[in-house]
Amino acid sequence: MLRLDRRLLQNVDWPLLGAAFFIIGLSLVCLWSLNPGRGISTLMWRQLSWVGVGLVGLLVVVSVDYRNLVRAAPILYVVGLGLLLSVFVLGRTVSGARRWIHLGPLTVQPSELFKLIFIITLAWAFTSGRGERLSRGALIGTFLLLGVPFLLVVRQPDLGTALVLVPVLGATLVGIGVRARVLGALVLASVATMPLGWLVLKPYQRDRLLVYLDPFRDPLGTAYNVIQAKIAIGSGQLLGKGVGGATQSRLAFLPERHTDFIFAVFAEMWGFLGCLVLIVAYVLLVLRGFEIAAGTRETRGRILALGVTSVFAVQILINIGMVTGLLPIVGIPLPLMSYGGSSMVVSLTALGLLLSIRMRQFH
Amino acid sequence: MELKPPPANRREAWGRRVLALAVATSIGFVALLGQLWYLQVLEGGRMHELSERNRIRIRPVAAPRGILFDRNGLALVDNRPAFTLSLIPREMEDRNSVVARLSVLLKIPVGELLEALERVPGDSIRPVRVRRGLSLEDVTKVEERKLELPGVIVEVEPQRVYPTRTFAAHLLGYVREVSDEQMKQGRYRRGDMIGQSGLERLLDEHLRGRDGGERIEVDAMGRPVQIMRREEPDPGAQVITTVDRRIQEAAERAMAGRAGSVVVMDPRNGDVLAMTSSPAFPLDRLTGNLDRDEWLRLVRDPMTPLMNRALQGQYPPASVFKIIVAAAGLQEGSLTPMDRIFCNGEFSLGHWTFKDWKPGGHGHLDMRGAIAQSCDIFFYQAGLKVGGDAMARYAQAFGLGAPTGIDLGGERFGLVPFSPSQRSRAKRPWQAGDTVNMSIGQGQLLVTPLQIARMMAAVANGGILWKPRLVQRVERADGTLAYGSSSKMTERVELSPVVWAFLRHSLTSVVKEGTGVLARVPGVDIAGKTGTAQTIAKSDASKGQDHAWFASFAPADDPQYVVVVLVERGGKGGQVAAPIARQIYEAIFLQKVAQVTLGESG
Repeated sequence: MLRLDRRLLQNVDWPLLGAAFFIIGLSLVCLWSLNPGRGISTLMWRQLSWVGVGLVGLLVVVSVDYRNLVRAAPILYVVGLGLLLSVFVLGRTVSGARRWIHLGPLTVQPSELFKLIFIITLAWAFTSGRGERLSRGALIGTFLLLGVPFLLVVRQPDLGTALVLVPVLGATLVGIGVRARVLGALVLASVATMPLGWLVLKPYQRDRLLVYLDPFRDPLGTAYNVIQAKIAIGSGQLLGKGVGGATQSRLAFLPERHTDFIFAVFAEMWGFLGCLVLIVAYVLLVLRGFEIAAGTRETRGRILALGVTSVFAVQILINIGMVTGLLPIVGIPLPLMSYGGSSMVVSLTALGLLLSIRMRQFH
Repeated sequence: MELKPPPANRREAWGRRVLALAVATSIGFVALLGQLWYLQVLEGGRMHELSERNRIRIRPVAAPRGILFDRNGLALVDNRPAFTLSLIPREMEDRNSVVARLSVLLKIPVGELLEALERVPGDSIRPVRVRRGLSLEDVTKVEERKLELPGVIVEVEPQRVYPTRTFAAHLLGYVREVSDEQMKQGRYRRGDMIGQSGLERLLDEHLRGRDGGERIEVDAMGRPVQIMRREEPDPGAQVITTVDRRIQEAAERAMAGRAGSVVVMDPRNGDVLAMTSSPAFPLDRLTGNLDRDEWLRLVRDPMTPLMNRALQGQYPPASVFKIIVAAAGLQEGSLTPMDRIFCNGEFSLGHWTFKDWKPGGHGHLDMRGAIAQSCDIFFYQAGLKVGGDAMARYAQAFGLGAPTGIDLGGERFGLVPFSPSQRSRAKRPWQAGDTVNMSIGQGQLLVTPLQIARMMAAVANGGILWKPRLVQRVERADGTLAYGSSSKMTERVELSPVVWAFLRHSLTSVVKEGTGVLARVPGVDIAGKTGTAQTIAKSDASKGQDHAWFASFAPADDPQYVVVVLVERGGKGGQVAAPIARQIYEAIFLQKVAQVTLGESG
């Protein structure tokens, strides 16, 4: 039962939705040009069906008061934890990582879904204290609460998702006004644990980091992806090569071209000007998100909105940064662009969360 | 830890913090745009070039080498497709492992592969040819493992195929990959096949043609997606030589197992109809993968198979030179056809005694008989009458001691001891004994079989010295003429017609009743002269034999063929060289008869 009254509809954030659907449109064009054809099995049609599923998620989230979602956080948390654990049991290993579980013909990536649960849990944890204060104990409790699933994600391993969650947590902490001293201590602590992290990393992950530091370390091995992506992007030049001329993408020199590296495909086809348009759309989306966060009076809404927006911002920045060679390679999809059901559904649902908060801003 | 309490304040502070985060995020986006500007605008050109290099492969398409034909349109050499193993350095992702795999697969030493790769830049997109003449079995092996061998391709190149291993080897020459030395000339590309000797080298520019190429778009696995542009190769031009394949084959057959040379020439125009040199080298081996040891074996072979004896072998002309002595004496008036001597087999000069080749001598002889029997005693005296200077002058007039001008390289000049400087090489003054030696074609005199053929042609045709012609014309693939040559007369020997007639008559007697009877072919008048050149017996006893000459033309009254045979250390000219000439004449004339009768009956 959707209970959308007039007032709610009046507050739909059309620029946000517009930017999101513009980006989805570009994604579909990109996927079509990578895998043209009319059949339902083509990438574009499959992506489109995921967009449909995502829209349902969006509508469901919009129709529900987000405060109820936050109240349901403990249940969601347990469900999320269960899903993450199920990967270790049901998961199928794809290129060394167990990230997906199979539900009939579908594969679901629980770590994607967990991003949302993470934010909701965060909002719940930071606001569940009766008073206006966030006690030290509550903060530590929150870290423990989030630490368990975080470690599970790292163990899959899905370093990308784990790396997204850390800055999201940081942004939320900044948002709620944790003192600079405490933040500094946290940053120091995480830097201190980095060498420890090195030990946890799989060999291929270490290679990726080393290659980031020196791309010509191994130009035909691990660095191949970085170099080919850079070539693809650069060769688009100012105006792009167009759909037919995008040889790097069409001839499969680009790895993961329809998923994590889709930005390189886009950049090759549409050039710097196309990238400018796409990035402006992303900036619009993210800034609208921050604006919603800033304009929300209700604390849970604020934290949720900030969290959702940070998830978008962090993923976009890391993905494009990595594809353009600014950051090391980690498996993070570009929200709304990359092919992938889990990512698309979660992104649209997250968008629904933002819309929902915006519509109920003035309650 | 606390959330700031007063709502108004809190809202403001919250807004500021969110703004700070938004600004931080925006800075991130600006950084991305900066990187994109750098990659796409500042570095865009370079990146575009890199992407083109990624996807485009150039595959050369070798031009078929021009074919050499004989005068009747029979092919002397032909092409067949051959497989060549090539490596494309740029496409070899992991050079060492690919080389290792290939080495195991085809049993090629790793060093050989690496050496080939080292000669070109590591990112070259042009294939480096590593091994030619791959067997079909090896080709299959490579094709089956294509995906494990990135950067390894099998090219199809036309390769020379020869009727027999040694057919006209010296004349045609061999084709071989351009050497490092030749690369320095800057005219060739690495891996080009170029003519290294004989006509193949002489006409290389024409025969080679121009290689074409294909630009292929490939995907990341190196699989061809489409041919973007194909440039057809220009096939090499066709060469119509003056050689008559059947005569060449007959000459080689006749010389089988012997060292020496045969030259067959048309005295009417100087066309070289056949030219052999034996032992010959195996053409097919020199064209393919010749290993060092085999090459050294060829170079060091005491029988010098690489030398073209027809124009590089220098021998004393021996009694063949008597033609020159007779011509000089008759023309200068120091001899007459009526001169008669009694030959007892010995001739004394001072305290020297010169012997005839025939113990006991020939008895009473006139000049014609002396030529027919090749009487040395007659010519010792004749030589003294004519004099060394006149003999040398006539020898030169007949083209001895000078290059014939044939287009093949490396021709030797021979030697006519004419000028004082040449004579002084002997480091002692010219003596009458030298004149005596010279009159029977011994001493310092040296000639090549080709010089003798040209000289005999002049005797046959009344004095015209032709520049020996090997190539009639070169026709491009589209039928246009790239090169054409007509017969060229280089010198003319002016002798009285009576002298010419006498010489021809006497030479006919040589075959009819003299030393050259073993050359006789029924139904054909052959004029010729035998020669037996004494060689200085070296330590190797078996080598101490004489060189056998037979220089001839036929038919005597209408000369169309000059046949010169030289057999190294073969023995007597009349017994060894003359029968070889007979076999060649038989091939020429009996075949002609067969053709005529076939033509009439058909």
